[in-house]
Order: sequence, then structure tokens, then C-alpha cells
Amino acid sequence: MAGATAAPSNAPRKKGGLHISRSALPYVLSLPALLVCIGILIPFVTAVWYSLQRYRLSQPWAQKFNWGQNYLDFLYDSSFWNTLQISLTYAGLTVGIELVFGLSIALLLQKRSTLNNFVSIMLLMPLMTAPALAALMWKLMTNPGFGILSYFASLIGLEDFRWASSPSTALFTVVLVDIWVYTPFIMILLLAGLRSLPTQPFEAAALDGVPRLQQFFRITLPMLLPYILTATLFRLLDSIQQFDIIYAMTQGGPGDRLTVFQVEAYLDFFQSTNIGRSAALLMILWAITFFLSNIFIKNWLRLRERARGTA
Amino acid sequence: MEHTSTLERVLRGIALSLIVLFFMFPLFWIFLMSFQTNETILRIPPSLFFEPTLGNYKALITGKLDTAAGSLDIAFMKNLWNSVLLSTSAVVLSLILGVPAAYAFARHKFRGSEDIAFTLLSFRFAPPLLVLLPLTIYFQQLGLADTYVGLIWVYQLICLPLILWIVRGYFEDISADVEYAYRIAGHGWFATFRKIALPLAGPGIAAAGLLAFIFAWNNFVFALVLASADKQPVTVAALAFVTASGIQYGQIAAGIVLSITPTLAIALYAQRYLVEGLSLGAVKG
Amino acid sequence: MSTLELDDVVKKFGPDTVIDHLSLKVADGEKLVLFGPSGAGKSVLLRLVAGVIRPDGGTVRIGGADMAEIEAEDRGVGMAFQNFALFPHMDAFDNIASPLVAHRTTREKIRTGVEDVARLLKIDHVLSHKPRALSNGQKQRTALARALVGQPPLLLLDDPLRNVDAKLRFEMRIELPRLLADRGATVVYVTQDYKEAMAIGDRIAVMRDGRIAQLGTPEEIYGAPETLAIARLFGDPTINLLDVVPEADGEGLHVTISDRPVRLPAALRAAAGKPCVLGIRPESFHFVEASAPGAIPVEIEAETPLNEKTVTLAVTRRDRELLISRPAGTPAPASGSAHIAVDGAATLLFDKGDGRRIRGADDERRAA
Repeated sequence: MAGATAAPSNAPRKKGGLHISRSALPYVLSLPALLVCIGILIPFVTAVWYSLQRYRLSQPWAQKFNWGQNYLDFLYDSSFWNTLQISLTYAGLTVGIELVFGLSIALLLQKRSTLNNFVSIMLLMPLMTAPALAALMWKLMTNPGFGILSYFASLIGLEDFRWASSPSTALFTVVLVDIWVYTPFIMILLLAGLRSLPTQPFEAAALDGVPRLQQFFRITLPMLLPYILTATLFRLLDSIQQFDIIYAMTQGGPGDRLTVFQVEAYLDFFQSTNIGRSAALLMILWAITFFLSNIFIKNWLRLRERARGTA
Repeated sequence: MEHTSTLERVLRGIALSLIVLFFMFPLFWIFLMSFQTNETILRIPPSLFFEPTLGNYKALITGKLDTAAGSLDIAFMKNLWNSVLLSTSAVVLSLILGVPAAYAFARHKFRGSEDIAFTLLSFRFAPPLLVLLPLTIYFQQLGLADTYVGLIWVYQLICLPLILWIVRGYFEDISADVEYAYRIAGHGWFATFRKIALPLAGPGIAAAGLLAFIFAWNNFVFALVLASADKQPVTVAALAFVTASGIQYGQIAAGIVLSITPTLAIALYAQRYLVEGLSLGAVKG
Repeated sequence: MSTLELDDVVKKFGPDTVIDHLSLKVADGEKLVLFGPSGAGKSVLLRLVAGVIRPDGGTVRIGGADMAEIEAEDRGVGMAFQNFALFPHMDAFDNIASPLVAHRTTREKIRTGVEDVARLLKIDHVLSHKPRALSNGQKQRTALARALVGQPPLLLLDDPLRNVDAKLRFEMRIELPRLLADRGATVVYVTQDYKEAMAIGDRIAVMRDGRIAQLGTPEEIYGAPETLAIARLFGDPTINLLDVVPEADGEGLHVTISDRPVRLPAALRAAAGKPCVLGIRPESFHFVEASAPGAIPVEIEAETPLNEKTVTLAVTRRDRELLISRPAGTPAPASGSAHIAVDGAATLLFDKGDGRRIRGADDERRAA
């Protein structure tokens, strides 16, 4: 080992390029991300500011601070209550159905086999389709003139089924599209969860002759619960803010049938140019999502620690 | 599980077929439509049999739509290009910003690091319009309105939390001792980051980048609010296209097919990492 | 060549103090073993010395120089890890070469350097393999080669034999001391295996709860452990421990085992009347004739031949179990009744209350 040279332990050595002091290093590395954070927090604060103002683009002279008036106005504003109701209904319906549907599919596909893996990969395709484009696809399929689904509806006696353009079926239609896009999300998370469960409890239960239905409720469901909670909250957070599918499908219509929070805020801002009201609406939505995301993050962190083996 | 009756297998088969039918049919049908002329599309009853035509794609690619009423210019290819440009740039920027930060959060727990990481995560769940609407006003003042730069900046809202949290997980998966060993061997932090951390987290970083690309590509509301026609990506443009082209359903279908093919292809390619990405690193596939 | 000094070093992880005001000096060329149960802070201490984690207090000096501002890459130490910590994306050659590459040596010097150390460790035939294609033994040797290749004056070895199989561990226990002695480097060696500790260490530092419980030569630690806990950690089979109350008599001090007196050194007289624990190493017992003075009658329960010794499990009339070992091949009763004797001077007496060994006057003299 004649050739090998050892550096003297305490002699200062010349360094190439980057030398950043040890304590400053992590800050330097995360500084760019931090700047983006700040860049996003500024408009957020501005939104809070707007929500406390009487601010209409059509009457710029009348812009003034009116404290919580925008929020107070909501109390007597039937269209606000309509927005709240339709948003909650939409979120509840979509997430509820997707959970049941997604869990069922995950259970069907639980066993690892070529066919099951192939099907689960195929089901990812709707999820990877842009929701706005998915809405457009369903719009083509539900076209009263040539839509294949309208044709199917007429075959089962539903002549003149109007899908998204009728107030009575518009909600059904957008929920259907949401289910088509997002059920695979729940399915794939729960499938990963199911496949990661330890096998011993099931083997023990099978040996003891526990009926399968009881196995499901006593073993599978409790062990899957963290995954179910995470997937559900994740979807709930997205669904309560749904914009793409509804806007692309009906722009909130017919009438005000589908004016969920973000659609209503968008219309307020760009059509009525009532910026104060729009910002206040979004603040209320933010409060709801903030509450939900706190619960979500707790569950999500627990799963993450489990997956990373650092629990 | 060990014992399955014939009846059960038949029921299972039927259920699976129905599921596949429900989720695949719309894609299949739109795909078929994209090869049809308006006449065959409008035929009642609809039929699986028709003479396929590439006319719809040709019209989109050449940008000339010839109808009985005359010739119409369509800028669909420009929008497709916008999607590629916006999504790619947004992901590249996001990787440049996010990967070092993810490394810092994974390796050097420092004061405020968790706060920054969670603030970024919370952006993923805040109503996007809450940030977008004030931004339209700021962007006007800053001259960023209707610019690619402005859009790419806003796209960080989707890409950065995703990259940060997924890549952080991959860095955490590397044994600290492996990096320590390289440091002790005489290499500085940057060499260690470049020669050890980056290559070992490489596949994960690539997957996170692809996923971020999908989410950027699929985004609708950012460009709807902030971009005019010539900067719009396909998601927004397709909607406008429906109104502009009137009843050219075949072209709309072809446009949709062209718009969703990149994301579907990437998803199939990176499907091994999809679960981890969709759950922001909380569930491993 | 290098000395290592730790002065009042403290390391905390959150609320836990992992290293608790620890001071230690390792002389130039000395081989010091850090020995202790897992969680004692041994590995943390090595990482503090290497510079990959930083102390919350105290000073680390290598070769007399304060390391406070010196990064890990500039400390010139070599380190091998318990889990090997090989770079999975580099082949064995590049793994071993990494310390040489950092020092901008010529390509030729790197090649000869790596090949020399690889030949020494008998892994020259697998240099082109990635770590996942190496056996555990080869991984361990690669990790060792990487630590040695730069000829660092200070070598830190973190339980390098922990994850290899018993046969290889046995071989390396013989090979390593020679290898390390040839290099002349100062070595800090972490292990949980007392045989390894005794085979490799010039001195052994027994660590518990972030402190050094005892520091001494292997003979001192084995022959004069400071506490009951340390006595229990060294020796296979483990030391026999009997609850006793020593009694003073005309000649000095004795305890009774099965009604037979065992004479203790008179210097321990202060322990008379206190509840104590008597420690007797299994090899301190001898089988004797019933007529021999102090013969203790026992029933032989079982006999286990190990390689170089035979261990007998015997039970006294008071139902106390004793382990007795003797060199393999020496004749002894294999079953039934027998008699044993013990040399009182070879026993250890511990305070039952705090577990500390009761020192005799001659001990005090030695310590001074």
C-alpha cells in the first residue's frame, strides 16, 4: 500500500467550490422552497384582506373596509346556503359512493394475480385523465343528439333523459363523472393497504373457522382503517373543492343548481366582479378544508411513518 | 380464500367485467369517435362498425378544419405545445427547488423545517382559487399576467408539495450510515449529495417528476384563470374548442385522445410508483 | 498515528441524553474497545468522533487538535459500520477506492492501493461486484478494506463482525488483531461480544447509559469488575451469583455455601454482616474428593461439552444452581453426587444494595 497517502488529520485542506457552514446548509438548501412558500402566502393574506372589504370591480369608488359584513351577509343570502348545501351534498355523495365502490373493487382484486394486477393498472387510466377532459368525454357521451349514454337511456325507456342539462339530473351526472375519475384513487390506496396487511391474523382466523364475513368486519376493516381514513379524508378535501368537473360540465348550471364553493367564487369574481364576496366564500371553504386537513395530516403522518418503518 | 366455489368464481368474473366495462368504456368510446366522421357519429342507433378515418387527426395537426361552410383555423397543436411547455418547465423548476429542500428536510432536521414542509403540504389542500384570484390582480401589476413564467410559477402550487414530500421519503429511505461513510471517506456534503443521495434516490425522483408532470398537465383551473387563448394548455383549450368548432364532434374526440395520451402513457410507465405518489409518500405500493 | 481525547462530551437526542459527560483518552497506537449492551451509546460515540454528528457539549480532540470546526471529511479517520454501509450503486473496487478518490491521488496509486488492501483481506477476486452480489463476509471485508485503504491514523470500527456468521466471526476474531497491530493505527472498536472485546482490546471501556462504567485492561475487567452488571457481561458461561452474608471470624471473613465455609480475603472484612452477592466464575470451581477441606456436596444435573471446555450444571443441597467449567478432557464425575471446592481468593464480592464490588485493602493499593 505504498501508493496510498493519508491526509493529515488536522491539516486544512483545499476545497472545491461549495463551502457552506454546517448550520447554514439546511437553510440554504430549503431557501428556494421557502421563497415559494412566501410567494404563495402573500396572495393568501391578500384574499383575507379582500374578504373584509366591500370590493366590486364595477364600483371601484366604493371600495372600503367593512369588517365582517361580507360574512354577515351570508346569513341572509339564500344563494350562499345553496352553495354550502350543494358543496356538502356533492362531497358526501361522491366520497361515500367512491369509498364503498373502491373498497369493494380493492377486495375483489386483493389476491396478487396477473389478471388482478392488469385490471388494477387499467383502472388507473380514468384517474390519470384530466378531470376537465373527463367531463368533456362524458359530455360527448350524454349529448342528447348522438350520445351513446342518451341512446342507452332511451333503450330502457328513459326517452329524453337530459343528464347534466336538467336541474333534476345534473347533480347525478357530475357525481357519476367524479365517481368515474376518482374511485380508482380510493381503490388503489386501499388495495396497497390490503396487500400490506400481515397474513397471520387471517391464517389464525381461517384455522379457527371464523366465517369470512366476520373476518372482514373483525380483522380486515379494523386493520385497514388508517388507510380508509387517509383515502377518505384525502378525497373529501379534494371533493369539497371540486371545480374542474362541474365547471367543464355545466359551469355551475343549470341555473344555480351546481354552484359549489369554488364555482360560485369564480363566477362572483369574474361575472359579478364582486371580489369581496368571492374572497369571503373562499375563506369559508378554506376554514372547512383547514379543519379537515388537520385531521388528514395526522392520519397521513401515521401511515407515512409506518411505510417508512420509522414509527 | 383457499376454497372458492364455482358460483363464487362466476360472480367474481361478472363483477370484474362490469367494473372494467364501466371504467374503460368512456375511453374506448371516445377513442372510436375520434376515427369517425360526423355522419357516422350522428347515426342512430350508434354502431361499432364504421369506416375509420384519420381526417379528425389530420385537421387537428394541420390546424385547418375544412367544413361545408368554409375553412376554420384551429390552434389545437399550439395548445398541446403549451401543455408540454408549461408542464415540463413547471416540473423542472419544481425539481430544482424541491429536491435540495427535500434533502434538507430528510437529513438535517433544523428549526422550522417541519413548519415549512407542512405549510407546503397544506397548499396542496387549500382552495386554489383562494390564491389564484388575488394573484390575477398582482400578476397584472407585475406584468406576469398571461405569461408562461407566471403560469409556471403558479404551477409550483401543485408540483412542489408533491416533489418535496415524495422525494423526502426516498431520501429518508437511504441509510444515513451510507452517507456518513462517504463523508468520512473524505468527501464534502455536496459530493455526498451528488454521488450518493441523488443516484440512490434517482428512480424515486424521476417517478415524482413524472407524477408532478401528470398533475401539471391535468390542471385546469390555473390556466383558466390566468391564461388567454394562446397560452392555454389543452385542458382549458379543449373546452373552448367545443364552442368554437360547433358540431365537429370527431375533432373534439380526437383532441381529447391527443390530450390524454401523454398522461396515460406516463402513468402506465411509472405505475409502480403511482400509489406512493398519489398518497404523497404515505403508502408504498 | 494519532491520539484521541474526549473531554466531557455530551450528546442529546431530544429529551434523551445519549452521551452523558463522557471523558476518555486513547493513546497513540492503542486499541480501545467500547463494550456494552445496545443503547449504551457506543455507536453514537463513534459517530461523534468521526464528525458525522456533533456533540452538544464537550471537546473531541484528534492528534491533539480540537475537532469542533472540522468536518467529517477533513478528520482523516477511517470507519467501518456494523451494517457495512457500502455504496450500493458502486462496485467493490469503487467502494474501497472512495477514500483515495477524495484525496485526488493518481489513478495508478488508487489502483495499487485498492488492490493491495483487497489482497490482504482476500477479496481481490470480487472487486468488480456490486455490493448486492457479495456474500455477507465479502461485504464485511469490503467495508473493512474501505476503512483501511487510506491508512488513516485513527480507525473507528463499529461492531464490524456483528452481521457476519459465527464461523467468519471466529476467524476474524483471530485475524483482526494481527491486521490492526500491523497497521499501528489507533483503533476504537465497538462490540457487544465480550470475547471479541477481550481478543482485540488493549483496554476495554465498558459503557452503560452513555457513561463509561469501567475502563481497564481485559484482565482487569474480567478479574476485577467494578459492578455486578459488568461481571455479568463478561464470561461464558456467565458468572455464578449467590446471595450471601459474610461473617467475621477469628481469621478474617467467610461465607457459607451449603453449610460449608468458604474463606474470603481478610481485606474484605468491612463487608461482614452486610447482604452481599458472591460472584464465582465457573472456572473457579474444582471437583474434589469428599474428604477435601471445604468440599461442597452437589448433585450433577447436566453436562455440556463445548469446544475447549466442558460445562457442568450442578445443584447444591440448598437448591442453588451452579455452573462449573473445566478444560475439556479433564476427568470429572458426569452424574450423581460429587464434591466441589472454590478458592475464596478468586471470588468477587458485591454489595447487594448498589451492585458495586467491595474492594479489599490490596485493591485500594493497586488502584493507587
